[in-house]
Amino acid sequence: MNINANYLAVVFNSTIRMMTPILFVGLGSALCNRVFIFNIGLEGTMLTGAFAAIVANYYTGSIFISLLAAMISAMIVSWIAGIFMVKFKGAMLVVGVSINMLISGLTTFLMQIIFGVKGAYVSTDLVPLHKTDVSMLKQWPILQTMFGSLTYLDFFAFILAIILYFFLFRTVTGFRMRSVGINKIAAQSLGINADRLQIGTVAFSGLLSGIGGCLLTMGGVTMFAQNITAGRGYIAMAAATLGAAHPLGVVAGSAFFGFAQSMANMLQNSSISSQLTMALPYLATILALAIYNFSQIRRHAQ
Amino acid sequence: MRNQSNDVILRMENIVKCYGNLIANDNVSLHLNRGEILAVIGENGAGKTTLMKVLYGLEHPDNGDIYLNEKKIQIHNAAQAIANGIGMVQQHFMLFDPFTVTENIVYGKEPKKGLFFDLKSANQTISELSRKFDLPLNPTAKIQGMPVGLRQRVEILKVLYQNADIIVFDEPTAVLTPQEVHELLNTMKRLAEAGKSIIIVTHKLNEVMEVADRAMVMRLGKHVADRNIADTSIEELSFLMVGRHLIETEIPKIAPGKDILRINNLCLTREGSVPVLDHISIHVDAGEIVGIAGVSGNGQSDLVQCIFGLQKADSGQILVNGKDVFNRTVKEVRNSGMAMIPEDRFIWGSAAQASVAETAIMGHYEKPSFSRKGFLNVRTIREFAGKLIKEFSVKADSIAQKTSSLSGGNAQKLIVAREIRQNTPILMACEPTRGIDIGAIQFVHDRLVEKRSEGAAVLLVSSELSEILKLSDRIYVIYEGKINGEFKRGNVSEEELGLLMVGSKKL
Repeated sequence: MNINANYLAVVFNSTIRMMTPILFVGLGSALCNRVFIFNIGLEGTMLTGAFAAIVANYYTGSIFISLLAAMISAMIVSWIAGIFMVKFKGAMLVVGVSINMLISGLTTFLMQIIFGVKGAYVSTDLVPLHKTDVSMLKQWPILQTMFGSLTYLDFFAFILAIILYFFLFRTVTGFRMRSVGINKIAAQSLGINADRLQIGTVAFSGLLSGIGGCLLTMGGVTMFAQNITAGRGYIAMAAATLGAAHPLGVVAGSAFFGFAQSMANMLQNSSISSQLTMALPYLATILALAIYNFSQIRRHAQ
Repeated sequence: MRNQSNDVILRMENIVKCYGNLIANDNVSLHLNRGEILAVIGENGAGKTTLMKVLYGLEHPDNGDIYLNEKKIQIHNAAQAIANGIGMVQQHFMLFDPFTVTENIVYGKEPKKGLFFDLKSANQTISELSRKFDLPLNPTAKIQGMPVGLRQRVEILKVLYQNADIIVFDEPTAVLTPQEVHELLNTMKRLAEAGKSIIIVTHKLNEVMEVADRAMVMRLGKHVADRNIADTSIEELSFLMVGRHLIETEIPKIAPGKDILRINNLCLTREGSVPVLDHISIHVDAGEIVGIAGVSGNGQSDLVQCIFGLQKADSGQILVNGKDVFNRTVKEVRNSGMAMIPEDRFIWGSAAQASVAETAIMGHYEKPSFSRKGFLNVRTIREFAGKLIKEFSVKADSIAQKTSSLSGGNAQKLIVAREIRQNTPILMACEPTRGIDIGAIQFVHDRLVEKRSEGAAVLLVSSELSEILKLSDRIYVIYEGKINGEFKRGNVSEEELGLLMVGSKKL
């Protein structure tokens, strides 16, 4: 394995492709953290989006409708979860895990009914997300490699992070959202409908996770496999935690996990056994969270 | 006297509010004149806070009407109360610690510039407002780390920013230092002069006498009397509130026995600050109440926590009957014969979600009478809890009820009962009467004196000087972690103690 500029460019490109689905979900998770909701159901809503995208694509052949279906279906599932968590005061962990298990079973079941396959569905008839045109970069092959074969959604993920940054810290709605996370009772006593704000945030985080799911199935390879998200929703929650629920911090957190994932993919071609390389992103998650929490505890102790 | 007009700005008519079987407000009527300061007084559980919650839209009355400027209004939530010009400075501050003063004040009515929150003009508005009402504050300072008095000022400005004509203060002085209380009362007078109408909910009668124009007395959910402050006295008001005359505790003279608790050269330092405890040496004898007087924050909390094992000290000796319990665990300290009434009943003294019965045995559940081999002896616990609430007249519907649903005074009585009934030779009482009403204060005082007369050593930490002076056989003054004076009962005046508490040298 020789490491040169081109190799690094490939790693960079792969990191971006691996991180953006996580980034969408991570931004949703960060918003939930800001309103003091521990939304573990993002794994399930991401899977909802991934599945809805494939189904809509299968029937309509339109990537636009596909994306829309992913967003709306994931938002609805998340909205219901939000109502259970906020309005009926269900334990957030229980509601989230229920959603995840339900969606995992439901998508596997529906896959068999709709596509008549088990395990995975791949078809050349599916229309993937549009790739951006990088031909204007052809004088710089390195740049072309770095930014090649990316979809519009990949770029949008970064723009969204910036938009959410301004939303959270510069707008009144963002201000109130943060306030609910800090002291819900105070917000309510000041006449803010905190429940509605929390449920709305959970629903919106679902919408974002739907985009992430769509990007997962319609981005690089157009396919759906049983539990295709494979814990990316949880990793996104970790990315949001590492990024201190700050939209730009989430970008950094997602990049870290995207890099781990892309390294895992790269190392599959090496002599290291694949069981080990595939565990890499998850090991990175545990390690990163452990270090983060340790530093938090030390900071508190001081 | 302010020139208050006799036009009525607010009337609440025949308010009824029940919680289950409990009638919190029984046909209560209230009227408030423009520019007037009305004190709503009564013991804990008399229904004052409920009445104010109804006014502020936090509770919905079962019956009754509210008239503002003689027009009937409906208040279903806080937002509607605010829109009607009714503001409330709550007892538990409703602030967002990581936000700035301005952000907290403009909350809910934020100025906008296009899509964005216009923080710049907000800051300007707030500094003008703070100048106009002479309530100095730095608009861009964060709430985090602010003293209580300033936090309350933020709350007051918040209400003023919302353009309230009627301002309700719910137990505003419970958490303030004497200087802060003085300042607050002046602020209230100023606001009334500026045409605001004020309701102060309290049970501190000397403050009522100083600041209010009129007092409305509540007892057991009923409105029992109305008095103009000019025509009444503390004695009359307290009689109306409690429904009986309070008899001052007689403190029998007894000779102290041998020292049970002795602390030698206890030291505690924290990084980057002056020593928190600086060679503290004190002792408490059998049959003696020893008071620690000090402005809060001078080490008394740390002292108690170090003695009790909640904090590790750096060096020193803590002798209980000659046995050193320095830096032992809380359990070991308790087993050595110490009980404690902690300074905050909900942070340290109980778990809000636990039942009354559970609270009654907290910290003692491992004693053989309450549990055996890890299993709780439910029947004994129930009997014990039932006995405690009867003996200490804790007002509770049942022993299965959540501790958080007890009023502050009743929760405190329950904790006092628990700690006293363990019959330990040493009792540490920290702020045992903070935020509870005079009837309950008297009760707690009587129990402490009783405990001491039975031969126990009682260490009393309190920021209420009158309490220290009334109960203590001996007094230590603590200042910046050092003992700054020791006196026997009757050998020192309140003024002298006050001076030592703020650091002046021995007289």
